[in-house]
Amino acid sequence: MAQSKMFLVSENAVWRNDNMSILKVEKVTKRFGGLVAVDDVTMEIRQGEILGLIGPNGAGKTTLTNVISGLHTVSEGRIFFDGTDITFLPTHKRCHLGIARTFQIARPLKNLTVAENVMVGGLFGNGEKLKDGRKSAIKLCETIGLAKPNEVLDKITVLDIKKIEIARAMATKPKLLFLDEVMSGLNMDETREMIDTVRKIRDTGVTICIIEHVMSVIREITERVIVLDRGAIIAEGPYSEVSQQHNVITAYLGEDA
Amino acid sequence: MKIIKPILLLIVLAAAVMLPLLTEAYFISVAITILTFMTLALSWDMMLRTGQLSFGTAGFFGLGGYAGIIAAADLGVDPITGIIIGGLVAGVVSLVLGMAILRLRGLYFAITTMALASVFMVIIRNLHKISGGPSGKVVLSTLFNYDSNKVYWFMLGVALITIVISEVFQRTRIHFAIDSIRADETVAKSHGVNIYKYLIFVFVVTSVIQGVVGATYALQYGFVFPESSFSAHYLLLPIAMALVGGIYSTIGSVIGAIILGLSSEYLKLIMPYGHLIIYGVIIVVVVLFLPNGVYGAIKDVLGFRKRRLEER
Repeated sequence: MAQSKMFLVSENAVWRNDNMSILKVEKVTKRFGGLVAVDDVTMEIRQGEILGLIGPNGAGKTTLTNVISGLHTVSEGRIFFDGTDITFLPTHKRCHLGIARTFQIARPLKNLTVAENVMVGGLFGNGEKLKDGRKSAIKLCETIGLAKPNEVLDKITVLDIKKIEIARAMATKPKLLFLDEVMSGLNMDETREMIDTVRKIRDTGVTICIIEHVMSVIREITERVIVLDRGAIIAEGPYSEVSQQHNVITAYLGEDA
Repeated sequence: MKIIKPILLLIVLAAAVMLPLLTEAYFISVAITILTFMTLALSWDMMLRTGQLSFGTAGFFGLGGYAGIIAAADLGVDPITGIIIGGLVAGVVSLVLGMAILRLRGLYFAITTMALASVFMVIIRNLHKISGGPSGKVVLSTLFNYDSNKVYWFMLGVALITIVISEVFQRTRIHFAIDSIRADETVAKSHGVNIYKYLIFVFVVTSVIQGVVGATYALQYGFVFPESSFSAHYLLLPIAMALVGGIYSTIGSVIGAIILGLSSEYLKLIMPYGHLIIYGVIIVVVVLFLPNGVYGAIKDVLGFRKRRLEER
């Protein structure tokens, strides 16, 4: 109750469907020394949507994701997830609450097999027993299309490594999933397959925040986008509207465009 | 194939238990030394599996030894209780220290743990009343009154328990926690692994093992002495054994301890003190040409043959 009151008094009045949002970021700033990577960001992610987080290189998209998932602590501001204040919660506890993520540069655990990578998510993110963890990991591999769950990681394709990232995050049974540039480096067929996968995940009830540079993907699957530039939000709304805005075009292409 | 492994294991185990009945006292004392270093090597490797290079082995070995001797001499407990106290003291100290130093990573953690043995030694050398100061401490009631066969069986028990703990670490969910921490801490914590908890747990368990081994070693001879109890010997030799045998596995440390333990004894006989040269050469050759250790090399060869057979 105290938390929702805080939002009512907050001067930013964009919280329309208050109880529908799963994540609220309130006036979050993240500084690295003198560099302001995230600058006074206030945003929400609504239950069940696919939100796009876009912006030019260095806009602070990944830093914002890191702040939300707990890899960085905020310099200022508060973060609420599913009704709890998670601003100062350690990363693994945020994972237990239901925040999962993939990494921009895929980080497979090289000393484990495909299925074991996925198991780590299930065992520690979802508290599964060893036996159940193995079963559910193999099942997840099947669903996501990882053909060889017992393969070691040194002879595996880029697409499969991206799929491991997603499967491992999904194994933690998240409520909110951050996908950090999962489409980059994929060819058209693979991108198509990945879009289907993302849709399938959303249909199981998981809210998705997708960070992407491939605009055709953003146009196709997001219901709403947030545009970041130099750490601050410069636009918010459906992609078709946002992409016409002057300041968004300027951010991407420069003043003369 | 599936039956061969347990049978082989039983034969080795039976041979290990029967050893005192088959050989003379000299060989038994060599075997006790090998088991001592085997257990230390295994405990070092168990910590290494989390990705943390710990040099605290000698520190907790010496601490356990001192705690065991002091308990036996001043509190008048029997040697086996002394050994348990040695393990407990090492465990408590490692828990307190671990909470602080396990926030460090990489080189910083390694260097800090390296300092532990020196710090313990300086403290103990200056606590004259309790520790006997620079001249060390003696106790009259030694472990099994110098009955080396009983000491051997006791040490075998300690080694077997350590092997079982190591295998438990390799086969349960702990394995996935520590392996993911070693591979990538960021990924581990993002997927719900409580890194700090697991690191402290492994650090305390391995330190208790080192403390028990130290107390067993000290009480078997009935004395401790600052320079020898905290000697770098108890740090470097186990590391060499684990590297030669193969890190990240139970069998690796066991094989490495047997190979280096036996060869050093044999070399000592044919060329006194010259054995250290050959000893060094063995370590260099293994590290250069068998980076996964002897066990790793065997596994690679077997795996390669298996794959060849499957491809046919």
